[in-house]
Amino acid sequence: MTSVVLLSAGRHPVSGATVLPRLEAQAIRLATGLGEAVGLHAGPDAAAVSDALGHGLSRIVHVPVPAGADPVPALVARLATMAPGLILAGRRGQGGDETGMVPYAVAQALDCLLIPDIVALAGGDAGDLPLDQTLGRGARRRVSLRGPVLATIHPDAPAPLPFAYGQARRGVIETVAGDPAAAAPVPLFEERPYRPRPKLVKGAPSGGSAAERLRAATGEAASGGGRLLIRPEPDAAAREILAHLRRIGVLAPPAREPR
Amino acid sequence: MAAQAARPAKAAPTVVTVEDPAFLVVAVPDCAGGRLSTHDRQLLGAARVLAGRDGAVVLLGVGDCAGCGEAGADRLLAHGDGDRAYDPAGRAARIAAALTALDPRHVLFPESLDGGDVARRVAVRLGAPLFTQAESVSATGLIRPARGRSVEQRAAPGLLATVAVDAVAEYAGPPREARPLEVAIAEPAPAGARILSAQRIAADPATVPLALAEFVTAAGNGVTDLDTFRQLVAALRATPGASRVLCDSGLMPRRSQVGASGTVLAATCYLALGISGAPQHLQGVAGCEHVVAVNTDLHAAMIERAGLAIVQDAQAVMPTLLRLLAEEAARPEGSP
Repeated sequence: MTSVVLLSAGRHPVSGATVLPRLEAQAIRLATGLGEAVGLHAGPDAAAVSDALGHGLSRIVHVPVPAGADPVPALVARLATMAPGLILAGRRGQGGDETGMVPYAVAQALDCLLIPDIVALAGGDAGDLPLDQTLGRGARRRVSLRGPVLATIHPDAPAPLPFAYGQARRGVIETVAGDPAAAAPVPLFEERPYRPRPKLVKGAPSGGSAAERLRAATGEAASGGGRLLIRPEPDAAAREILAHLRRIGVLAPPAREPR
Repeated sequence: MAAQAARPAKAAPTVVTVEDPAFLVVAVPDCAGGRLSTHDRQLLGAARVLAGRDGAVVLLGVGDCAGCGEAGADRLLAHGDGDRAYDPAGRAARIAAALTALDPRHVLFPESLDGGDVARRVAVRLGAPLFTQAESVSATGLIRPARGRSVEQRAAPGLLATVAVDAVAEYAGPPREARPLEVAIAEPAPAGARILSAQRIAADPATVPLALAEFVTAAGNGVTDLDTFRQLVAALRATPGASRVLCDSGLMPRRSQVGASGTVLAATCYLALGISGAPQHLQGVAGCEHVVAVNTDLHAAMIERAGLAIVQDAQAVMPTLLRLLAEEAARPEGSP
């Protein structure tokens, strides 16, 4: 099965230099582990994604699109002719608007299934392809499905393959005809330099003093009201701990699981 | 006079009702496990800010959630998604149908794994722009970071937006009505079932990274028998952690160190065995909801921080815990 990795011209958050986003490098690792993989980039310059060759892709298809224009129509047109069984993309872009809308718009236009936030691909038999989707905190959902699928990658996926210079030299970038007249969308938003805002601290009193906020931040406010047992028998202490853990719900109740 | 007016209000908080709302603000929380998470409450707080005095907040959820009125919801509506199998596209279709029926002015989603996904599906389905990851919410404008947090984008609140976590305060006013709404929602046409099966795989506590772990059991300098400690961690199905002292002496791996120079936890429960609680260690457990401590020193900082504190030798408690767990496991099912 051929898979396609959607590549974007990412920008480094600090330096502003062009980099391959880590999520897309992780996507390349998953895709090449499954079989043949091709990169697809819609943008003004193919050099922006040439790093992807060094991370494991042997071929990238580049559709020229003017800077700032919407890449979705160009991607959809190209994907419709390639007709891959699996399309992988990062869950968010990097260095642009970072809305994460492109995979959804592409999936809608192609009428293909979208599975978000996957962390592993289990090589399936013909027809179905099990995907492991993260549910947070290390839990996963294994989704098996039929038909073409677009999956977005979560940062918890395996780390990308290291950059190999020889592979980057051997890889090819194919430029195909694009739509040079694609119009740039009108910017919707007013922009200004970013101003960091304080994150909410759990339990911090609104309008409290600095000392109160510090107490809330270091968890001291949570103390008090706790139970204190002084020199209990180890047996009593152990029973108390188990009962407490079960009340919180982190320990399974006794004799529920077989054996 | 003002004091007299304030007193009865304090004694019995009256439920605020909005009889004839000028407009609706819909909040679509995740309601994971049938209860509102902190992020869901923050979402309702943001919706309450947009609704102001004249608007009503509609909670579009999976059904029965406790504490919706306290969280700021004026109306309740279930999109009938309770125990269905994993079908995100169908869920987005049902939410889009509900939104068409309600015709709200604003719709807010949480920027979480599930909420962010369903928000984008609804946006492409309705063809409406989505303002993602709003970090500041007010009736005059939403603000989001962009280009690697080098710029911020500002726009007047549109139809669809997602709200970042820990950005907007929860609703803190008097409880709202949370009246169930009777709205006929057109059931969307069922699409062909392309998802064959979806099966939940629980996290393996032994291999999950410490920062993601749900339940961490950690050893400190008061624990000398580390074999028993490892058996106990496995029996409790917890993730092992350690204090700096044990990691420095090479008794536990460095990746298990909890604290300012190790891992900062986001666990639900932290069981500290023989850890006194240096300030740097307490920083690592500041985010833990529940702390249980076993330590010989009554005046240790960890004993003060703990919700259940036991002044006893951890070396004596560990084998007892193991024995009790083994007895429970050996007992046949159903017997007391």
